[in-house]
Amino acid sequence: MTFLLLSALALIFFYGIYFAARTARLGLAPAHFLDGGSALPGWAAMFLLPGIVLAGIGIDRHLGLVALYGLQAGHIGMGMIPVAIAALLIWNRMWYVTRIANLTTPGEALGRYFDSIALRVVLLGLSVLFALPFAANILSNAASLLEGATSGLIPRIAGVWLMALASAFAAIIGGWRGTVQTLAMLSVLILLFVLVVTLFTEVTAQSPGFPIAAMPQENGIMWDRLPGVLQNVFGVGKTVPAGGIFTAVGVASTLLSLVGLVISPAALYLAQTSRHGKTLGLSAVWLTGGLLGSILIVGVPVLAFRMIEGPFALAELLYGVEPLISVMLLIVMLAGAILAINFFVVGSTLLVLREAVLRYLLPQLNTVQQRLAARIALGFAFFFMAFMASFLPLISAILASVTLPLSVQLLPAIAGLTFLRWISRGAVLAGLTLGMLIVVFTEPLGLILFEGLFVDLPWGRWPLTIHSAAWGLVFNLLLVLLASAATMRHPQRYERDRLHNAIKEATGPASRGLGAMGGFFIIWSFLAYGPGAVLGNTFFSDPIFTTLMPVLGVPSLWIWQILFWLIGVPLIWLLANLAGFGSVSQDRIKPITLGPPPGQKPPGWLAESLRRIT
Amino acid sequence: MTDPTPIDRLSRHALVMALWTPAGFVAVALLHMGLTGGGPWWIAAGMAMILAAFVGHIIINVATSSSFTSGETALGALSYSAALVALVLGRLIGPDDMGEGVFLAIGVGLAVILAAVIVYMLIAFGPRGAFARFDVIRDNNLRASSRLQHRGGRR
Repeated sequence: MTFLLLSALALIFFYGIYFAARTARLGLAPAHFLDGGSALPGWAAMFLLPGIVLAGIGIDRHLGLVALYGLQAGHIGMGMIPVAIAALLIWNRMWYVTRIANLTTPGEALGRYFDSIALRVVLLGLSVLFALPFAANILSNAASLLEGATSGLIPRIAGVWLMALASAFAAIIGGWRGTVQTLAMLSVLILLFVLVVTLFTEVTAQSPGFPIAAMPQENGIMWDRLPGVLQNVFGVGKTVPAGGIFTAVGVASTLLSLVGLVISPAALYLAQTSRHGKTLGLSAVWLTGGLLGSILIVGVPVLAFRMIEGPFALAELLYGVEPLISVMLLIVMLAGAILAINFFVVGSTLLVLREAVLRYLLPQLNTVQQRLAARIALGFAFFFMAFMASFLPLISAILASVTLPLSVQLLPAIAGLTFLRWISRGAVLAGLTLGMLIVVFTEPLGLILFEGLFVDLPWGRWPLTIHSAAWGLVFNLLLVLLASAATMRHPQRYERDRLHNAIKEATGPASRGLGAMGGFFIIWSFLAYGPGAVLGNTFFSDPIFTTLMPVLGVPSLWIWQILFWLIGVPLIWLLANLAGFGSVSQDRIKPITLGPPPGQKPPGWLAESLRRIT
Repeated sequence: MTDPTPIDRLSRHALVMALWTPAGFVAVALLHMGLTGGGPWWIAAGMAMILAAFVGHIIINVATSSSFTSGETALGALSYSAALVALVLGRLIGPDDMGEGVFLAIGVGLAVILAAVIVYMLIAFGPRGAFARFDVIRDNNLRASSRLQHRGGRR
């Protein structure tokens, strides 16, 4: 298996280098290296969206969680509907913002719209978090997997450097366009391989699997139901929740953290640099909501049942039947990691370069020099990421745990930029600060630091089984609403109105039925993954509307999940096609200049810091 | 794709490769399973995967307003010919236990792929245009009148 696996991995890396070299040999303008000429092929972004989401969740991690917690962890698959909706709404509007006001990066868009350097700095900080600890944590786990799959032939640290080196080569040669084109193929590969491996395993298995057989669980974990709406516990590390950690609100808040993937700086950059067309709708409706949703809700519990003894046991079993399918199982997990690493490191590094280095530190560089700077920066980023993955895996894991919840705290700012013109700068900054603080203190980062330096806190990770992303966002939104109400007539509102009016003009008249769709989505969310989801525990196995006891042969919660996923997909379709969020067009765009022209002079505090360092 | 730019050509190439790379790997795995004792149904599944990828390739052609490139056509024809020769040789000089089921699955699979190619050509180019693609004899006629439209000229 080792030879086959390494050969397949080598082919993947050569594929990346081949397309990087082909892209470089096109002889495009040097500026294309950084943004793909803001005309990345629509199909690439279309395939990448589900790949980013799946890789961000962590395929092996998710399979492990479902094997451990059963359908309550599998309920996270419902998140593909809100994630697809978030991508439709936000990516669509970010594309228009980019074309209308020539705001080419997420940091520039938020910074210029709210006239705030602080927001640019927050975006830079988030980019660094995604590029270094978040990617390093994924790479470290992938290298451990590779070590196990090769029976120790490739130790973890060697695996880290090999994968980082191969990824860096392709990125340094091909830039943003080359990377995105390669990762799109990886995304297709992952989606197809998961389906094939699941079907193959079931067809060739000697014993019945899920749902005919029940998942063996220990420690009182309720594998076939959600353990309540909430659990009155102080959090992981303090109290063990009875029946499992994935309560209804726990699931809902975890789904919220997945939105952090879609609004991560690199993902927004992908949306901004894509070509116009109708591929966003196809991607959100059929690939993310439809295909990926079906894989996570229907396929993953079936495959996870076979992986109760771990991925290597299943790979060994499959190797005896068909070696290439066994390799496919391992490639699915490794390719997910490779996709996430490349996407977040390359995207985030290019953003940091454009936002900080080329803007403030080295503004005099011409485009050829900028490309060289980008190549050097990518080399350094991959080096530091691999260094963290090799020698600082624990620190990477701790910092990675806050990355997605912190990203979610940008939601009010992005909502302000894209839809809600009344959200003001002060409100966003106040909410962001509070939300980020709460996230840090409901995740290991803040808990370890505070408890190490001062006293033990009474709560642990995810108090009341609520994800830190939701804790932060609730208080964040509360503050944003209050502060925005107080600053409704601020003079800065004029500039914000100009952008929103231009977006309205470019996107055409608002579709009728958006309010009804919103209302339906809230009801759907309440029942699909909100507090109402606990009804699904027994709704079909022990119905309240009849005394008859149906014999289903499958858990009631699984039917509930499938049913609400089937209802959710048409909802995305309506939003994409009826409301028009599935396509973007240049036809009605009238460019504007937002606010005063951007200065090249670094802010005082940044100049002063640089002066002290240099 | 009328007068495609180099970027368009590379983008289409990447899209085609994004389709064939995973689909090809899956097809090879299924065919290997079928040929090493799995039975004809696995071979049929492998052939179905190739057919699905071919249909996907046609969809790409339609979406990008393009057609099969000469490299793709050559590779496809070469692979198909090699498979056909391997099938015949396998039957003639291969092991005796190469069952009829395996022969039938591969043979029917290749026939279905050929049928799909013919149907595609008929739909894309029409009966006359599809025939003209193979009509190499007429290509040797260099008389100027052969270029006239009413004489079926196409050069």
